[in-house]
Amino acid sequence: MRIFDPHIHMTSRTTNDYEAMFASGVRAVVEPAFWLGQPRTSVASYLDYFDSLLGWERFRAAQFGIRHHATIALNPKEANDPRCVPVLEEIPRYLVKDGVVAVGEIGYDSMTPAEDHAFASQLQMAREYQLPVLVHTPHREKLAGTRRTLDVVRESGIAAEFVLVDHLNETNIEMVKDAGSWMGFSIYPDTKMDEARMVALLKRYGTERILVNSAADWGRSDPLKTRKTADCMLAAGFSDDDVDQVLWRNPVAFYAQSQQLILDPIPGFESDRFPDPTAGFEGNSVLRGERV
Amino acid sequence: MSVQKIETYQDMPFAVGYGTNGWADHPLPVAIPLLAEQGYTAIALTLGHPHIDPFAQDLTSQLAEIRTLLERYQMRVVVETGTRFLLDPKRKHRPTLVDQEAEARMNFLRRAIDIARALDAECVSFFSGVIPEGTKSSEGWDLLVKRLADLVIYAAEREVRLSLEPEPGMLVETVADALRLRSELGDPDALGITVDIGHCVVVEPGGVQGALQQAGALLANVQLDDMLAHAHEHLPFGQGIVDLPQALSTLAEMNYQGVAAVELPRHSWDAPALAESSLRAISQAWSEAKTQSAHGRWLSDALAAIANDPRCLPQIFALAGRTVARTPINAQADPTGVIFGMRVDHARADLIAELFTVQDPEALAQHLRDLYYRGDSAERRGVLRGLNKLVDSGRQLEDRMINTGLEITGDALRTNETSLVAAAVGAFGAAHLDQHAWRHAVLKLVFMGVSLRAVQDLHVRADEELARMAKDFAAERRAANRSIPEDVALLTELPIYSERSDEG
Repeated sequence: MRIFDPHIHMTSRTTNDYEAMFASGVRAVVEPAFWLGQPRTSVASYLDYFDSLLGWERFRAAQFGIRHHATIALNPKEANDPRCVPVLEEIPRYLVKDGVVAVGEIGYDSMTPAEDHAFASQLQMAREYQLPVLVHTPHREKLAGTRRTLDVVRESGIAAEFVLVDHLNETNIEMVKDAGSWMGFSIYPDTKMDEARMVALLKRYGTERILVNSAADWGRSDPLKTRKTADCMLAAGFSDDDVDQVLWRNPVAFYAQSQQLILDPIPGFESDRFPDPTAGFEGNSVLRGERV
Repeated sequence: MSVQKIETYQDMPFAVGYGTNGWADHPLPVAIPLLAEQGYTAIALTLGHPHIDPFAQDLTSQLAEIRTLLERYQMRVVVETGTRFLLDPKRKHRPTLVDQEAEARMNFLRRAIDIARALDAECVSFFSGVIPEGTKSSEGWDLLVKRLADLVIYAAEREVRLSLEPEPGMLVETVADALRLRSELGDPDALGITVDIGHCVVVEPGGVQGALQQAGALLANVQLDDMLAHAHEHLPFGQGIVDLPQALSTLAEMNYQGVAAVELPRHSWDAPALAESSLRAISQAWSEAKTQSAHGRWLSDALAAIANDPRCLPQIFALAGRTVARTPINAQADPTGVIFGMRVDHARADLIAELFTVQDPEALAQHLRDLYYRGDSAERRGVLRGLNKLVDSGRQLEDRMINTGLEITGDALRTNETSLVAAAVGAFGAAHLDQHAWRHAVLKLVFMGVSLRAVQDLHVRADEELARMAKDFAAERRAANRSIPEDVALLTELPIYSERSDEG
């Protein structure tokens, strides 16, 4: 089984996770830029973070046979901090980098005027650089927030198929489906969605334009939720092809609109077996060797 | 395993074929479907034993059968006339167009023209001949001109194109010879030129590329094979010195739309396997050709755009991977590209080397700094390899440039990204890093498990202190019951210190 996790914050995870993900079938991920738990206080902090998403994190993922891509944005929460907002001027230069597959996560946290400004201006950047957008829906006021999000997206003029609206659930799936955008679901241990509810939604709404992610970060989350959802789908009678569509072809189709996906196997990882860890791979903070 | 013909060939302007003289152990109704299945879209049909007797009583029905086969499998066809003992069972290829008596050859070639018309073939390819003993070259030349004049008229009347193939050792040996002959004939439209790319490495002064370009619009037929420079022997790809990617990219640049067929007449015993491996080699060479030309195109476009507006440099530098392949420059020796870099790294490096010749050194040093610090890992490799290229090509660097280079190199050496560290120990590092920093860089590579082939001038700069560091590193590994990287021996066994220190 091949799995593409379209939303996972690997900078917060350990190499054990990478190893377990590879073993579960994860071969490619997208890491959206977001906040760090601890608020940032300057633009410089952002730049180091973006550089790390496109540099060290991509290298680290490749050491474990996983293709790593990123989305770049000022996130909605920090759009409210004037010390961070000037990062908007730096974002365009990141949007042309290899492996930047979308503008994101953008959207609303508390629906303030500052968030309006950051959201609208980054939607325009996505149009200018012909990139898809990953839109975060608020954790509080989700229904009203999603409605307003879709209005702003529509007003921006960006094509609906260039938009992935994430963290959906039973209450707001239909409005996103009707808008013609892609529907993202984050499967969490106790919040957001779980596997069984996800399978129920897939039964009701079909597999088209639906993406499943683990959204794993430094909080209570599980980077193997993509695989667990796939297993639940199979147990519920979905076919291998259905699973492949939701866990691979749909996220690939969405992010491929950026022309920036690289999905060839990483040399040394062509087979399903993890390379022999004793062959020049031990003794460093991450796996070593010429395999990257 | 059949080869994916669509993906491989849809962007080739020419058709890839295989010569039937390399399928002498298969009847045509067996060979043609096999070739089609493998992904070939043409055949080069050699007349004579064993496939088709041009003087057979039932020739017409034989040709009808072949034409049906070709149509069914959508194969294009060229007619080849290089059969060995058709006209004289004792003397190979004789008589030829430069022999005193050549009526048999003339009859055969006229028949070949008829056959080409019946099959709707794209040309009849033929050679001149080896001057027989006792005949002067000038005599042979006159005979050739006279006979060709007749044949050209015969062919033109039947709307068939002739294509003269220069052959090593024959009177018409090079494309230049063929052009001279053609001009003596008044440059008739019905006479084109065949180029065998293997022959080019034996006799053509301009090599494969030069010969193809010289033939230019007159190129009517191409034969593909490998060859060594000293022997006219058709070899499977990879066994000679022919630059296949260059040959294919030259054909593409010329927009050659005819047939290019594999010519391995002495390998019938292994035809199916060779047809498959040849096609794989062609397909690989074709993707290589495309990336090579993408590199050249990107570089000239980039230089033109920067000359027009220098402010676009950062974006052009960042976007290089959209045009130039992000694949290893030497995939065989370095499948991950860590040691020798990616194609796109070298394209970026070439851009830096070119900018050096047009930009003020102060400005360029500042640009390099910005490109590096504002770049992702790939862009940073490009800058590091650009510095290497400047040193490699013997450029005189000013202090400002050296200091910037050292600052960038120092940053790269602090990272744990193998490809950055490897790029930082190239020619620039070898020339400018102080000994302490250089030793630590080398040891870091060993520690990271990266091959020391990445290090420029290892033997020049290695010293006793580095040997000591490597020995200590090995001892630490032994103490932990860990394997010792093979490359440690390169540092501890260099004659410069092991012998000197033992003797001293």
